[in-house]
Amino acid sequence: MTVTAASTSTTTSSPVTSGPTPGALVTVRDLQVSYGAGPLVLDGVDLDLYPGETVALLGSSGSGKSTLMRCLTGFAPISSGTVQVSGHELTSLRRSRLRDLRASVGQVFQQFNLVGRLSVLTNVLTGALHRAGPINAVGGFTSADRRRAMELLDRVGIAHKATVQARTLSGGQQQRVAIARALMQRPQVVLADEPVASLDPKMSHAVLDLLRQIAREDGIPVLVSLHVLPLALEHSDRIVGLRHGRMLVSAPTADLDADRLEVLYADGTEEADGAHR
Amino acid sequence: MPTAERIRREHSATALDAAERARLERAFTVPRARFLLGVPVALAILYWSMVGADFDVAKLGEGAVNMGDFLTRLFPPSWDKLDVIVAQLVETLQMAIVGSVLGAVLSLFMAFGAASNIAPGWVYYPCRWTMNVIRSLPDLVFALMFVSAVGLGPFAGILAMTVGSVGSIGKVFAEAMESVDTGPVTAMEAVGASRRQVVQYGVLPQAGPLLVSYSLLLFEGNVRGATILGMVGAGGIGLELTTAMKMYDYGHLSAIVICIIVLVTVIDQASAVIRRKIT
Repeated sequence: MTVTAASTSTTTSSPVTSGPTPGALVTVRDLQVSYGAGPLVLDGVDLDLYPGETVALLGSSGSGKSTLMRCLTGFAPISSGTVQVSGHELTSLRRSRLRDLRASVGQVFQQFNLVGRLSVLTNVLTGALHRAGPINAVGGFTSADRRRAMELLDRVGIAHKATVQARTLSGGQQQRVAIARALMQRPQVVLADEPVASLDPKMSHAVLDLLRQIAREDGIPVLVSLHVLPLALEHSDRIVGLRHGRMLVSAPTADLDADRLEVLYADGTEEADGAHR
Repeated sequence: MPTAERIRREHSATALDAAERARLERAFTVPRARFLLGVPVALAILYWSMVGADFDVAKLGEGAVNMGDFLTRLFPPSWDKLDVIVAQLVETLQMAIVGSVLGAVLSLFMAFGAASNIAPGWVYYPCRWTMNVIRSLPDLVFALMFVSAVGLGPFAGILAMTVGSVGSIGKVFAEAMESVDTGPVTAMEAVGASRRQVVQYGVLPQAGPLLVSYSLLLFEGNVRGATILGMVGAGGIGLELTTAMKMYDYGHLSAIVICIIVLVTVIDQASAVIRRKIT
């Protein structure tokens, strides 16, 4: 029941076995990552993501959160270990299959990464690029895709802005568009890398509520990396925490509090201060 | 550890050295040594160039009388052959339009190959080298080459303009594509988009305004350039201009110059309006 490398932390969690866990959509085992000849950025990380759960990923800057996210989509060089997404072993996939896999993983970014000059609707439609078909060669999307994009904009509450350029929206609105784009992929898992770091507190709660609602209603796991502990404690079902590339915490949110997560920021980094705000 | 103490400890580890901090806090910053050394070197290079190129302001003063005489002879302009001037200007404009459109389209394709964030290395370097070679040759050389290939007339001028455009505008197109925000590109890759789709949805919409702006600049340049290409028989108003100069027909020359100025000004203003609309 223990997943901890630090002597100061003892945190309960689900047991981690050596193979894929039944029911898990994402399974990471003994993951090690280093860039070139540098030190290990991730060291022996195990992670399971289950349908319908929202998992908060915590850790200070440089702890390996973003690298872990990148590993789940094949954007980071995996030194050893296994990463399975929807039953597919990511480390052995060819480039074309890797694109298929990326298409099944919705991603939400800190800076939204929308194409500012394109309309909100087109930005959402880009989520369907992978399966857009021949019509897309001339810049088109099928009516079915367009209908779905509008439905998703309804869902995130921003359909009335469908025709405006994305750059004219507020940060919170842009992040909603980015979430709709991720959902347009019909994802089997959603990864959100610090999705509220650029938003005010009210917007942060709204966006995290939306992500959690998506996880529950669509039955997909949502992994959200966060810096602010109260947000993680309020908007997640489970919390996993990294420090220096090692996973120190993995436990249901209900079993945790800010004091027990202090171990993640024990180095005295700036994020520790921010985390307690 | 208390927050204040933690901040102090972090700060002491990353603080500027005292001399640098004092320099930054002075009301007037003393320039760095490399700046103090660089300015004299730059001035020395400028002086060397002026001497080497016989740059002489006094000589310009002495020749001012002749220049004034030349300008006096340009007035009044003669509008007797206005119909010829207008016909030649229209031909010049047509050459510039066709040359610019073809040049911009070819440049766009060349730029895809010459943008490091789009093309692989084996495509990137040949494209860059090709553009460098084209850029190092003056348009007049291309004009002479195409005149010998397709004969006198505007077609040779259009071909010269088109090829010349690839060298100049292809490079700035490629650099516009390289300078786009990487965020949307990352997002396109993340949704599993193909390379073509990444360019279509992640790169071009961002670079679009710059590409259009540079294309308009290319068009303006080609209108002016077309007047020169005519001098070697590659069509346009240039031939009429050269003939008027050789015949000492100053009134006609003046009318041609005034018409060119009007055309270029109108195009410049129209381009400015379009640029404002798209950016």
